[in-house]
Amino acid sequence: MIAHAIFFYFFSIIAIFSAIMVVASKNTVYSVFYLILDFISVSCLFIMIGAEFLGMIMLIVYVGAVAVLFLFVVMMLNVSGTKDEQFKRKISYSHISFGSLISLIIFLELIIVVGGWKYKPNIVEISSIRIDKDFTNTHAIGNVIYTDYIHLFQLAGLILLVSMIGAIVLTYRKREGIKKQSYFKQISREKKEAVTLVEVESNKGINLDD
Amino acid sequence: MEYAIIFLPLIGAIVSGFFGRFVGDRFSEIFTSFLVSISAILSFVIFYIVVAQGYANNITIFSWITSGDLQVNWSIKIDALSSTMLVVVGIVSSLVHIYSIGYMVHDECKTRFMSYLSLFTFAMLTLVTSDNFLQLFFGWEGVGLCSYLLIGFWYKKPSANAAAIKAFIVNRVGDFGFALGIFLIFYYFGTLNYSEVFAQTPYFVGKQINFLGIETSVITLTCLLLFLGCMGKSAQIFLHTWLPDAMEGPTPVSALIHAATMVTAGVFLVVRCSPMFEYSQLALNLVCIVGMTTAFFTATIALVQNDIKKIIAYSTCSQLGYMFFAAGVGAYHVAMFHLFTHAFFKALLFLGSGSVIHSFKNEQDIRLMGGVWKKLPYTWILMVIGTLALTGFPFLSGYYSKDAIIEFAYLKNSTVGFYAAAIGILTAVLTSIYSWRLLFKTFHGKYSNEKIKIDKMHESPMVMIVPLILLAVGAIGSGYLFKDLFIGHESSSEFWRNSILFLKPIIYDHPPTWLILLTPLLVIISIPISYYLFLKNKKILSKYVQSHKQIYEFLLNKWYFDELYDFVFVKPIKRLGLIFWKNGDIKTIDQFGPDGFAKLVKFFSYKAVQFQNGYIYHYALVMLVGLSILLTYLILI
Amino acid sequence: MINIGLGHYLFLAAIIFIIGVIGIFLNRKNVIIILMSIELILLAVNINLVSFSIFTHDLAGQIFTMFILTVAAAEAAIGLAIIVVYYRNKGSIRVEDISSLKG
Repeated sequence: MIAHAIFFYFFSIIAIFSAIMVVASKNTVYSVFYLILDFISVSCLFIMIGAEFLGMIMLIVYVGAVAVLFLFVVMMLNVSGTKDEQFKRKISYSHISFGSLISLIIFLELIIVVGGWKYKPNIVEISSIRIDKDFTNTHAIGNVIYTDYIHLFQLAGLILLVSMIGAIVLTYRKREGIKKQSYFKQISREKKEAVTLVEVESNKGINLDD
Repeated sequence: MEYAIIFLPLIGAIVSGFFGRFVGDRFSEIFTSFLVSISAILSFVIFYIVVAQGYANNITIFSWITSGDLQVNWSIKIDALSSTMLVVVGIVSSLVHIYSIGYMVHDECKTRFMSYLSLFTFAMLTLVTSDNFLQLFFGWEGVGLCSYLLIGFWYKKPSANAAAIKAFIVNRVGDFGFALGIFLIFYYFGTLNYSEVFAQTPYFVGKQINFLGIETSVITLTCLLLFLGCMGKSAQIFLHTWLPDAMEGPTPVSALIHAATMVTAGVFLVVRCSPMFEYSQLALNLVCIVGMTTAFFTATIALVQNDIKKIIAYSTCSQLGYMFFAAGVGAYHVAMFHLFTHAFFKALLFLGSGSVIHSFKNEQDIRLMGGVWKKLPYTWILMVIGTLALTGFPFLSGYYSKDAIIEFAYLKNSTVGFYAAAIGILTAVLTSIYSWRLLFKTFHGKYSNEKIKIDKMHESPMVMIVPLILLAVGAIGSGYLFKDLFIGHESSSEFWRNSILFLKPIIYDHPPTWLILLTPLLVIISIPISYYLFLKNKKILSKYVQSHKQIYEFLLNKWYFDELYDFVFVKPIKRLGLIFWKNGDIKTIDQFGPDGFAKLVKFFSYKAVQFQNGYIYHYALVMLVGLSILLTYLILI
Repeated sequence: MINIGLGHYLFLAAIIFIIGVIGIFLNRKNVIIILMSIELILLAVNINLVSFSIFTHDLAGQIFTMFILTVAAAEAAIGLAIIVVYYRNKGSIRVEDISSLKG
């Protein structure tokens, strides 16, 4: 149990710290890095707790795809700007107090649920799917996801498809002055537009200026 | 017929006032004059019937207020007193209407003028034919309103507007007392009709009331309050300041309102309430004292005035003082007689001076006139007749009425009576002096007007002279003809009957011969004296004025009454009003009321606008706040 | 403290959630931080679901977490695409400059 506790505290402290640094960091690239650290530590937490499939998936998808996407965009957009710009604008700190107050309120309300759980352990109804000690997590999930939750699975796929199309459509732009081939035009070209038979008299040329 | 008398002028006023633009100037002038003349002729007929047959009637037109104990009707009461007043009002009003056709020929708003004149006539007629205090008050206020409209007729002149407001406000002060008197009457007598009030008066003689901590008799208090109204309306001392300034209006207005009709409404009221006044010696004494003081003091002011109309205005105040002091010694019928004759010669004087002003192209200062008696013969003769009548030259109308007043005062045999008679004689002398001064300075002596050449002077048109001639006839003859009717030995039983109450029988002894002769003698002597002083040897007077400059200034500035009132009343009230406006109105009420609300709304909307500043994180914050509130609500419930 | 129970995981999730929420409106730098904060929120939800799933021996939580993962990835992609296009049009993604909704 001690090891469990040590690892839990270790990973959670790192998670909280990096979460704070995501928000508070001055450099946006650093923020992205701290986000990646956050994901990694939470994923370790998942592995520790017994949901190793999810931990791995989080690592692959979140860190490997989403965070890298963030990094791409941050690099592309020149978000930090010059140092002069940041100094020219006046930064006001008036909003911090009010916002913190509201956040504190919500935090306290979230904690109240915990209290509720402690005092009333039967709050949550247990559904029929049980975790069995014999199967690995991956096995267990795989058992369920392609049979009972197949519709959700397909829908998830559709969501990903739609988002891909959406991203492409949003950022697509036509560039000026590019020469492209249009296969359709090439194939549908007809003989009478392309070739003309001309009687040429001797010693006289053809006028091609049309 | 009575309806016609009262309502014909009203019809004239409405037609001329509202439709004057459509019917044209000439038509409205002729129409209103015609209607008022018919009304005057009918009032003559009524007067004749009253005299011949003792006709008295009280017609109820319809019932005005019926509320609990209070029953007040619109009515026309015809008896000796009201028929006398009807004749006075009718004659003077119709002659003034005709005169105005000529006088206002250069004015643009003739229809408005005619309409106001007729409206005034209507109000005055309502006043004199009422049979209850409330209709009297309606007429009272009506003539006050019309005097405001007429004095301020040339409303583009700021001085005219100020004078009109002054007249109205000073009248208002008097009306306040009058209203209090009416309230008191209703409170004690339970009714406002003359007949009932006067029937109950004897039972209230000993009754006391605690008014502002002083125990006074009910009757005395009521009479005093009613007399306060008379003081305002008839320009007696303390409330006289409006009358000279009222000369800002056109001259026909001065003739109608301030000579013959409105200012006599006060006298009419006192005489009408004679049943009440008779029971209160204190009130009668006060009336007498106020009357004679006014008579004396206004006569002294008239001595030094330089504006032709102001002299005649002060003369009116003075004669009204005579009327009041006649009423105060118990000789109501003499007061009415003097009112009757005074209407004629005062209107004659005013209209004559109007003719003079017209000829001098609106010049009113007598120092800038003189020497035109040959050029304006008719006007001159008529003014002379008027002046003779005013001063009480023997056998003209003023002689009969004014001397009767002095005799009755003497015969009363009380201290007040003797004192009053003495002041009366003194004032008569002063009256004579200033009237002749007016005449000499205007028509005789050197021609001192720079603006108009003396060759260009011409007489006024006939339409202005004819009314003057008619009035002159009245001024000469009304004294002799009506003397027996009004103040003769049998008058109280034959003519006046119930309209005037005499508690003690009238004394008809003959006053001592020296008294009878004294006044006319003084008056006749004063003519050559004033001739000498004002025409032949002006230096005596100017030297006297130089050495007594202070007295001269005192008199010239009307005994500094206006300045006194300004200091005591006008300035503090103005300051108070300013304080109320600035601090009370603007700072307090507006601030918490409309302005405050507007500012509040603006403030909140400004704050609300800042919610939509376009920044997404702000919107997210607001959403979060909403979420937290919702969560808190759900958790805590 | 030593015995790690469900409450500890929930507490951790709550903290990360709050940090993500704070990040949305406390940053004045640029919009990408907002998107990262949204990822943090989703992460906290994931922790919540997984810990509940483990402690009640119920697999439904983990299944749901997988789908949340999917959706989060899709939404991050679209969001970034929008930001790229916005940057192309307006030239800046500083938070103070994005105030076209004003009024």
